[in-house]
Amino acid sequence: MMPSKKTMTLNLTDAEMQALEALSERKDVSKTAVLRQALRLYQLVEARAERGDKLFFEDEKTKDKAEVMML
Amino acid sequence: MTVTVSPVFLFNTQTGQPEAAELLDAITDKQLADWEGEWIPELFKAIQKLHRAGVDRVHWPQSRHWNWRAKTDALQGMLAYPGFSIVADGMTQGMMLIDTATKRCRLDVQKGKDLAYVEYVENAPWNRPELAQPPLYRGIGSVLIRAAIALSESEEMKGRIGLHSLPQANNFYANTCGMSDLGPDASYHDLRYFEMTPEQAETFIEKGQRS
Repeated sequence: MMPSKKTMTLNLTDAEMQALEALSERKDVSKTAVLRQALRLYQLVEARAERGDKLFFEDEKTKDKAEVMML
Repeated sequence: MTVTVSPVFLFNTQTGQPEAAELLDAITDKQLADWEGEWIPELFKAIQKLHRAGVDRVHWPQSRHWNWRAKTDALQGMLAYPGFSIVADGMTQGMMLIDTATKRCRLDVQKGKDLAYVEYVENAPWNRPELAQPPLYRGIGSVLIRAAIALSESEEMKGRIGLHSLPQANNFYANTCGMSDLGPDASYHDLRYFEMTPEQAETFIEKGQRS
């Protein structure tokens, strides 16, 4: 039960394409899958930030937290 | 919102026959109305029975505090959290919410890879062996886990799924689904964490096709 999908053309710089290709290779998924995952995360982060929530990265060992500034 | 409906079968214990049902890739207002109007009253009746029988609270269904309307409202429109539901005989029989964005695999063989994490999954009270004997429909959990695997595959996560299990469901995930048991998770209410590899997913799907 796959929802229908639409196709679009994406214009990327060389550096952006290299980053996308590196992520695609490292995660063993297509470039489309990387971008869809990025969209899910970006939408979630934006929604939480709009609600006033803050985003943190936590060091697993030291438990130090660093806030990610959302612009 | 476009809802895709897929035909599935559940086993009806009253007729002793498989029964046609529908798997929806959404939790709609109809499901939430069924939850409020039918599931909750039935759940409270079941809890009352347990209470009157002197069953300790620790053995009451732990999902009794789940509020599907609040969960669904909070995640409305979020691509990261798709919902699923099963309808049979005009009634919602099970619901599931999945996180496809924020969790990563823990099992050594696939550590750090993306997976579909089953955030919440629940059967209607009349389908739960600990509350109704016999449960009206069997097979709801398996249909929902297959849906989670299919979602994982469609997002190129190769069938990898993970979840924290409530104690009454540990046996189902370990033995029926064949997931790896990573033990109690101190960071998540000490619930056992289970994870499925692509190979385990394939075995589970094959088992379902044979039965």
